Amino acid sequence: MMDRRNFLKLSAAAPLTAAFGKVLAQSDTIELVCPVPLSGPFAANGKFSEMGVRLAVENYGKLLGKRVTYTTMDTEGKPATAVRKVQEAAQQKGARFFVGGILSSEALAMSKEVDKAGGVYMTIAGADEITGSDCNRSTFRWSVPTYGIIDQTVRQVAEKFPNAKRWYTITPQYVFGEGLLHWSKEVFKAKGIEHVGNSSHSLAEKEFSGYLTNAMAAKPDVLLLLNFASQSSDTLRQAVSFGIKKNMIVVVAQSAGLEQFESLGPDICDGVYFGLQNWHGVDTPFNREFTRLANGATRSDPNFTVTSTYTCAKVVLDAIKKANSTDPKAVIAAMEGMQYEGPTGIEEIRRGDHQVIKDFYLLKGKPKAAMKNKSDYGDIVSSGKSFLPVEKTLCKMA
Amino acid sequence: MNIYLLQIINGIGIGMLYFLMAVGLSIVFGLLGFVNFAHGAFFLLGAYACYQFALAGLDYWLALVLAPVIVGGFAWITEKAFLHRIYKLPHEFHILLTVGVALVLQEAVILQWGIVGQNVAVPEALEGVLILGQFVYPKYRIFVIAFTAVIALLLWCLLDKTRLGAIVRAGSESTEMVSLLGIHVTRIFSFVFALGGATAGLAGVLAAPLRGVEPFMGVEALGIAFVVVVIGGMGSFAGALASGLLVGVVQSLMSTLWPEGARLMIFVAMAAVMLLRPNGLFGRT
Repeated sequence: MMDRRNFLKLSAAAPLTAAFGKVLAQSDTIELVCPVPLSGPFAANGKFSEMGVRLAVENYGKLLGKRVTYTTMDTEGKPATAVRKVQEAAQQKGARFFVGGILSSEALAMSKEVDKAGGVYMTIAGADEITGSDCNRSTFRWSVPTYGIIDQTVRQVAEKFPNAKRWYTITPQYVFGEGLLHWSKEVFKAKGIEHVGNSSHSLAEKEFSGYLTNAMAAKPDVLLLLNFASQSSDTLRQAVSFGIKKNMIVVVAQSAGLEQFESLGPDICDGVYFGLQNWHGVDTPFNREFTRLANGATRSDPNFTVTSTYTCAKVVLDAIKKANSTDPKAVIAAMEGMQYEGPTGIEEIRRGDHQVIKDFYLLKGKPKAAMKNKSDYGDIVSSGKSFLPVEKTLCKMA
Repeated sequence: MNIYLLQIINGIGIGMLYFLMAVGLSIVFGLLGFVNFAHGAFFLLGAYACYQFALAGLDYWLALVLAPVIVGGFAWITEKAFLHRIYKLPHEFHILLTVGVALVLQEAVILQWGIVGQNVAVPEALEGVLILGQFVYPKYRIFVIAFTAVIALLLWCLLDKTRLGAIVRAGSESTEMVSLLGIHVTRIFSFVFALGGATAGLAGVLAAPLRGVEPFMGVEALGIAFVVVVIGGMGSFAGALASGLLVGVVQSLMSTLWPEGARLMIFVAMAAVMLLRPNGLFGRT
C-alpha cells in the first residue's frame, strides 16, 4: 500500500516524466510550422499552402536522422491572429522553422515575431517591405515583389501595345496593393502613359460593379487589376459581364495562376494578360519532377500556391541539411547565397535582403478551343528577372 | 450619361439583390422574434444548388425555380428539427444554435464542392450588355432588377392581400392573440421560416452568375442582410426594400465619390439611421 510520502514523490515525478517524454519526442523530429489562412476569403490559398508543405515533408522523409513533420495554423488572414499563433508556436512548442503567409499584412507581422523568436521564416507574400524596409535576418521571401511584378507585366504590356496610353487601375487597399500601384505609376511616367483613374477598395469587397463603372466612364485603353486571388477573380468576372474585354485590354498584375484559372474558366480568361510567379507549363527540371509528384498525390497539375509553398519548405529543409544543424543561425547562414533548382529554373537567395532572384512571367489567356489539355489556360508571352538593387530596397539587415 | 446616374442605376441593381437577401431575415424576425444567423447559409446553399445544376448540365432557369424550393424545404426541416425548440429561450440560444447550423452547412459545402471558388456562367439568353447611347449595362443585371421587382411585388401581395399574409402580420404584432383565434401558429412559423430560407436561396441563385460561388459567401451575405434589416426596421417588408435600395445606391455612389470608403459607408449609414431612428426607417416603436 502506498504511503503519503511515496504518493507525493510520484505526483511530483509524473509531470517531469511527461515533459521529458515530450522533449524526447520533439528532439526526434524537425518540425515545420505553416501559418496560413484556413478560413475566410483566402482559405483556398491556405489549403493549397498546406498541401505544398505536406508534399515537401512527405517527400523529404528523414533529415539529420530525424523525422520531418509539419503543423498548420489558421491565421484567418488576419495579422493579429497570425502573430498570436506564431507566438504560441514559438513559445509553447519551441517551433523555429516557419513556412507560409499568403497575405502581405500577415506575413509582415509574422516576420517580426519569428525574428524575435530567433527562428527562420520563408514566405510567398509580395509586399516590398518584407525584404525591404522591414527586412530582418530571419525572413526569406520566394515571390517576386511588387517592383518586379509591375516591371514584368505593366512594362511588357505597355511595350507590346505602344498606342495604349490610357490606363485605369483597381487597387486593394493594403500594403501589397499600394506597392503595386506605386510601381505602376512609375512605369506610367516612364512610358508616357496617362493614368486616367484609380479605384481603391477594401480587402472584404466582393461587389466591384461600382469601380468598373468608374473605369468604363474613364474610357481607358487598359484596365489594370492590382488585386489578388478571389478579389481579382470577382473583379475580372464582373468586368467580363460588363463587356469590358471587348473595349479594352485587361491585365491582372499578380494572378494566383492555375487555381485562379480553374475557378474562372477559359471563357473569362481568354484574351486577358496575367502576371505569374510560376507556371507549371514552363519546361524546367523542377517542373517536370514536381508535376509528376503533384499528379501522383493530387491527380492534378500543381498550382501556384502548392508549388511555391512546396519550394519554400524544401529550401528550408535543404538549408538544414546543408548546415548539418537545426540551429536557426546556421540554417540562415546556409540559406544566404544558396542556389537551387526551382520552378523557374536556377533560383538564388540574395544575401543582402534574403530575396529569391527568379523569373516572373506574363501569360495571355487562350480560348477554350485552343487548349491542349485541361491545364493549358494560356501561353507565356514574356518572362524575366526584375529586382531593385539591394541598396534601393531600403533593407538594412542587422 | 452622367457617371452618378450610372452609379444610381447600378446601385438599384445591387440593392434589389440586397433586399432579396434581407427580406426573409426581416420577416422571420418580425414574426418569430428569432435572430437567424443561419440565414447567410441558406443564401450559400441557394448559390451552390445553382452551381450543382450547372455541373449537371441543367438549365439555369430550372435552378431559378427549383433551388429556392429545395432551400426552403431544407429551412423548413431545420426549423422543425431544431429551431422550434428554442423560440421561447433568450436570443443568445438563437444565435448559438443558428451559428452552429451555419458552420455545419458551410463545412458540408466545403466537403461536397471543395474550398476553391467556382464560376457559374450567365444563362446564354442574358449574356452580353445592353447599350443605350452611353449607358452600357449587363443584360443579366437588368434581369436581376426586373425579376427581383416581380418577386418583391409577389411577396407584398402575399403579405398584404392574402389571409395568410394577414395572419403573418398579425402574428408579428401578437402571436398569443393569433393563437387564441384558433390559428395553428407553429405551422405559420414553419412556413415563414421556410419562406425566409427560400428567398435567401433565391438571392443565392441570382448572385451566383454575378459573383461565382465560394464557401464563405454566406458570411458576407449575412452581414449585408443584417445591415439592411437594421436600417429598414426589423419585421418590415417595406423597410427591407427601401433600405436594400438605399444600401445599394450608397455603396455604388461611394465607389465614385470615395472608393476606399464604399464598403465602410454601408455601416456608417446604418449607424446614422440607428442614431436618428433607432427602430429603423420603417420599424415600429
